[in-house]
Amino acid sequence: MSEFGPTVKAFLHQLILAIFVVIWLIPIYAMVINGLKSEFDVTSTPVFIPPLHPSLTAFAAVWSQLDVPLLNSVIVVIPVSLVATFIGAMAAYYFYLLSVSKRRSLNFMSNTIFSLIALATFMPYQAVIIPLTRIEANWGLLNTYGGAIFAFILFYIPTAALLMSMFMAVLPRDIIDAARIDGSGDLRTFFRIVVPLTIPGIISTLIFNVIEMWNNFFIPLVLFNVAKQTLIPVAVESFTGGYGTLYNESFAAAFLASIIPLLIFIFLGRYFIRGLVTLGTGGKGAV
Amino acid sequence: MVVTVKLSKVTKTFKKGKRNVEVLRGVDLVVERGACMGVLGPSGTGKTTLMRIIAGLEVPSSGEVYFDDKLVSTSNRIIVPPENRNIGMVFQSWALYPNMKAYDNIAFAVKNKGEETRKKIEEIAELLDILHVLDRYPRELSGGQQQRVALARALAKDPSILVLDEPFSNLDARIRDSARALVKKVQKEFGVTALVVSHDPADIFSVADVAGVLLDGNFAQVGSPLELYDSPVSASVARLVGEINELDGVVEGGKLRVLRGVVERRDCQDGNVKVGIRPEDLRVSETEVQGMISLGKVRVKVSSYTGSSFRLVVSPLEEEKVELYVNSDRPMPINSEAVLLAKPEKIKVFKNN
Amino acid sequence: MATLEGRSRLRSILNKAALVLPTAALSIILLYLVLWNLYYSFTNWSLFHSIPEFVGLLSYAQAMSTVFFRSSFVHSLELSGGLILVGNLMGMLLAGLLYFVRSSKLRTVYLSIFIAPLAISMAVNGVIWLWLYNLQIGIDWLLVRLSLPALPWLSSTSTAFPSMFIVAVWAYSGLAVLFYLASFMGVDKSLIEAAKMDGVGTFKTFFRVLLPNSYQGVIVATALLFLFSFKIFSLPFVLSGGPTNVSLQTTVVYMYYLYTTEFFAQSTAIATLVTAIAAAVVIPFALLGLRRWVRRE
Repeated sequence: MSEFGPTVKAFLHQLILAIFVVIWLIPIYAMVINGLKSEFDVTSTPVFIPPLHPSLTAFAAVWSQLDVPLLNSVIVVIPVSLVATFIGAMAAYYFYLLSVSKRRSLNFMSNTIFSLIALATFMPYQAVIIPLTRIEANWGLLNTYGGAIFAFILFYIPTAALLMSMFMAVLPRDIIDAARIDGSGDLRTFFRIVVPLTIPGIISTLIFNVIEMWNNFFIPLVLFNVAKQTLIPVAVESFTGGYGTLYNESFAAAFLASIIPLLIFIFLGRYFIRGLVTLGTGGKGAV
Repeated sequence: MVVTVKLSKVTKTFKKGKRNVEVLRGVDLVVERGACMGVLGPSGTGKTTLMRIIAGLEVPSSGEVYFDDKLVSTSNRIIVPPENRNIGMVFQSWALYPNMKAYDNIAFAVKNKGEETRKKIEEIAELLDILHVLDRYPRELSGGQQQRVALARALAKDPSILVLDEPFSNLDARIRDSARALVKKVQKEFGVTALVVSHDPADIFSVADVAGVLLDGNFAQVGSPLELYDSPVSASVARLVGEINELDGVVEGGKLRVLRGVVERRDCQDGNVKVGIRPEDLRVSETEVQGMISLGKVRVKVSSYTGSSFRLVVSPLEEEKVELYVNSDRPMPINSEAVLLAKPEKIKVFKNN
Repeated sequence: MATLEGRSRLRSILNKAALVLPTAALSIILLYLVLWNLYYSFTNWSLFHSIPEFVGLLSYAQAMSTVFFRSSFVHSLELSGGLILVGNLMGMLLAGLLYFVRSSKLRTVYLSIFIAPLAISMAVNGVIWLWLYNLQIGIDWLLVRLSLPALPWLSSTSTAFPSMFIVAVWAYSGLAVLFYLASFMGVDKSLIEAAKMDGVGTFKTFFRVLLPNSYQGVIVATALLFLFSFKIFSLPFVLSGGPTNVSLQTTVVYMYYLYTTEFFAQSTAIATLVTAIAAAVVIPFALLGLRRWVRRE
């Protein structure tokens, strides 16, 4: 390396990073600019050139197809992620109580449950699709909010429980003992002490679950078969184009579908990243 | 509803990897109603385990724990869970709830939240001098204030027994003495049975009526703090309750020889023994002193000032390797020679092990 | 007194039950679905046999004997294996570059950019890349301007799968970057400074100090890249406009294809296979990795 001066090295370092950053940003850049193109721009410019005559016509065109799915996604995802996070946190506290217990039988049980939860978190949810659709069909839940809510709760509570049990591993043991000695039952301790002390973990779990649920494509694909009534990722897929579709509409639809997760990512990204880190290392990451 | 706490043959075994570690080996203990018992021991001797068993946070492997005549724990079974034992506990870390203000921390343990409770909490806060910080969060309090909030929390529920785990070790040295005096005062004022666990003899001596030394999972000696200090049953106990010089000695026909000195000891069997002499029972002098016996000439190696008195390290002239700590009322020049004197009645003789 | 104790014990049990029952109930439902799925896989349930009958492993044999299964399973292995390889390399490279960025603010911004694709729906990513792969207005337009040969991307069977692989690398490398960077940041700073004092170059520091101390990054990045890539569904689905494109079909897409064509038993057989493979990776990872790290040992 001696033939390079430190300035050259620093420049190369920045340059290589910049190239990768630009490559990584291109698809997102394309999504943002191309939705703003007019019909004229679409026929005259490729996807890398910004619009010459920015217009909202594409957004107006796709809005009538996407307004209901967007609303559906909001109605399903926001409450379900709140409920799933909360229920998962309760279960996580139960595992915490199991794992600090010195009884070996309980410890074995806690290990078993932990593995099952991890499996449920990482298992391809496609794998239970047939029984799930059968149940939902029997209960008349297909094409309903209830059906989507049921499926999301089923698949994302394990994620919440896994994340929260890792965030709870750092709860100071003395404080939980103190609460017990002070005559507080497990539920009271959970609400009065555990929840306030794990707020950052709860936010991370919540954000992670909102983004994951919002972006889930498979579940609405199989649970809804009315195009206009589905959730947003599936609705966007109908704009993939083929011949005759104008690409500004595809990008406008993609942008509308991503606006909520992207805003969350821009403003609360550290919570999402902390969720990812915890999912991988139990919160050991230093980023 | 203050209780007498009784432990009978309590053992506790932990599994550490593949090995079984016996932390407590048949501990018997009685803490009388209203008494303050101190448990002294080096770390890792089961002090904390003993305390957690009394609190109900840990299950004894065998043996029984009684509060008055009521069985609260027995072999591998907790009969009365900690939340029903009405224990006031001060943790080493204080374990204050960080999300609650001092007042709510104290009130958390109290069942009914009426006007009466508020009055009582304020009274206790007044007594502990934390009345003005009741609306602050724990992180906004000094170490001493946190400790007193923890103490107030433990007292506010009218506990059957007060358990203090290393209650002073996280405090600055300069406020430790006043904290100890305060604990002693409120313990007597509330008349509550108390158990103090610590590795520091100063904690035990300033707070406890009765003290026990826990060594290798059982009590090596139980008695008043003074008894432990003046008549320890073994060198290990003597070492734990205070600083002590340990020397080799020989007993022959009722006479103990140690260094160059000879002391009458009728109560000892003949043979090699360990001799213990505390630094304050030694003196270095050029002349004979009434009531002290000479242990021979020594050379001063180190002379230092320790707060209120001088501390010397001396060695006998003919045995450079032996070093003794001696308290002194004045500094001595290094390498000066003098006679080492000892109070004969304070010399402790232990079996050689 | 006995009743008081009984009551307190009951209270304690009810408390614990309230904490765990909702999750336990839903977990049991999930487990029930998995078992039901397993049961179906031993039947011959399909469009032609609307009443399932027990046929042993026949549905497995049928589902796994098709050419679609072989190609989709190979695609899944290639996708997961390739992503583990390329993702880890990208993770090392980009995290290494990020580690030596001086400003921590800038580093966070760069890291966020690499992770951003994970915050967008894979279906949306698919829609975007469909147009980027367009032969007139997409990347090819750029390549032609630069006098480079244009590629057929998704429209040729030989380049379709690599094209999809590029999207997966773009979407999932952020995971590896994150965990490598986390590992690097966890390496004792004084080691790096000592290396600097000794005049060791940046490259040598990276290969001799940072990488050897980052085994956790390798394990986590590999496990998560596998688990995320093995269940990729929406990307091949969107890029090929449905579940039938043979050159992009992965195992889960094949499973969905069997489902839509109402070969239910065969679909559940593939689902069982997929679950078993995921379990083989997840359980050791959860017990040996996560559990140990969580316990702060």
